[in-house]
Amino acid sequence: MALPLPPGLAQAEVAFLAEMELVTVVPRQRLESINLLSGRTPVLRPPHRAPLPLWLALLLKKQRRANIVPPPWLHPTSLSQIIHRETKEDPTAFSAPPPPPSRAHPSQPGMAHRPAADANLSPPFLPSCTADAPAGYLPYHWLEVAEALLAHAGDDMAAPPGEVRGLLRDLVEVRAAKMRSSTSALEGFGGGLMSLRGVGAMELAESRGFVLGVVDGVRRIGASAEATRREEEEMGGRREDDEGSDDDMGI
Amino acid sequence: MDIDDILREVDPTYHVVPRERRDLQDLTRAWVAERSAPELLHWPAGGLFERIHDNIKRQIEKVEEMTGDMDPKTNFALIVIQTELERFRYLVRSYIRARIAKIDRHALHYLSTDELRSRLSEMELAYATRHQALLHDHYLASFLSSFPPPLQNLNDTAGNITMIDAPDLESAVFIRLLKDTLVEGRGVDADGAMDGRESDIVILRWSDAKPLIDAGSAELV
Repeated sequence: MALPLPPGLAQAEVAFLAEMELVTVVPRQRLESINLLSGRTPVLRPPHRAPLPLWLALLLKKQRRANIVPPPWLHPTSLSQIIHRETKEDPTAFSAPPPPPSRAHPSQPGMAHRPAADANLSPPFLPSCTADAPAGYLPYHWLEVAEALLAHAGDDMAAPPGEVRGLLRDLVEVRAAKMRSSTSALEGFGGGLMSLRGVGAMELAESRGFVLGVVDGVRRIGASAEATRREEEEMGGRREDDEGSDDDMGI
Repeated sequence: MDIDDILREVDPTYHVVPRERRDLQDLTRAWVAERSAPELLHWPAGGLFERIHDNIKRQIEKVEEMTGDMDPKTNFALIVIQTELERFRYLVRSYIRARIAKIDRHALHYLSTDELRSRLSEMELAYATRHQALLHDHYLASFLSSFPPPLQNLNDTAGNITMIDAPDLESAVFIRLLKDTLVEGRGVDADGAMDGRESDIVILRWSDAKPLIDAGSAELV
């Protein structure tokens, strides 16, 4: 009865999460609004575009009731731009995540709003895979959404699926190399913090066990050294507090 | 489009996320957090689960009603509703099972103080108590009864060594920052701090991450 999985989302669970991402569909037939547990779906009237969660969009696509508009970042020019940035401009860090959604809604120019001021939205509930998403940025669930769209909506792509697939494979390899090299930084995980800005959900799920294992291992090995250091700091007064706070990987 | 839709479109509050959608977001976040955190988290406040449970029950009743209708149009809506229902039930089931796994592993720990007990829901508290009672009876019947009485306790804390197994609060987790904030982490060789930006993914110890999560500046991923 109890869940036998280790802590941290497994790949299948990440894929499940990615299916909640909103995508834009172009309906091919009318469909009335359906009252779902997560709220009512928009009324689908061809040829008006509508945002739908990926799982529903894929269902409609399979039944040939709608076409899916691929997100702008999945366009070959955007992908090559990202590959260029990952390999040439900044060969050590992941490319930046998409900027937070603009405060002004496109349908209401001038009316600034924040989607629910009390709840900070995060993927998969940000509209980072719809047709309005910015090009040139990989959202958190990029790999899963791209794979799902290529597998089930290959004919809706702006370019031949083979070309997109090739670019994606390059991107996966470039970023996997970065993930591997980030583990060498783990060796000196003495600073207590490491930032992986721009990493994707699937990449995280793949190396989660290894990365967390290394960090926990380093901590256990160094536990007594850490205890001694803490004791010394406590004895030696509060001088350590004035240390520069921008030095995040201090060894 | 009727008059209500038009009124809603000019209403500036329309884009505030509706209740149902926010419930799904809260449930998803609670599930991801529970799956990633090394210890049991608080049972969500504000009647989230009661609400979701009622909604699921209502939706099942609706499906039962609609199954009698053979019109192809409602037939497709039925498929969509059932698919979504299954997705919701998967989330709820996985969430509860993840919690049960943690309770099973450290039942005595979560029953030991009032603060920890308050994290459990009523049902979970009953489950944990019963689980621990059964376990204790079983141990007593199989071997504890042959020990001298002073050694029969399962929650002995004599000699500064506690017998109660607790989760490792120092294990590392991944978090995503929801706003720009200062992140501090304790390390083996030195303690680090960085000015985190929104949507940074950071690896740090759970004990350092917890204050950020509780303050709503970060979430587990």
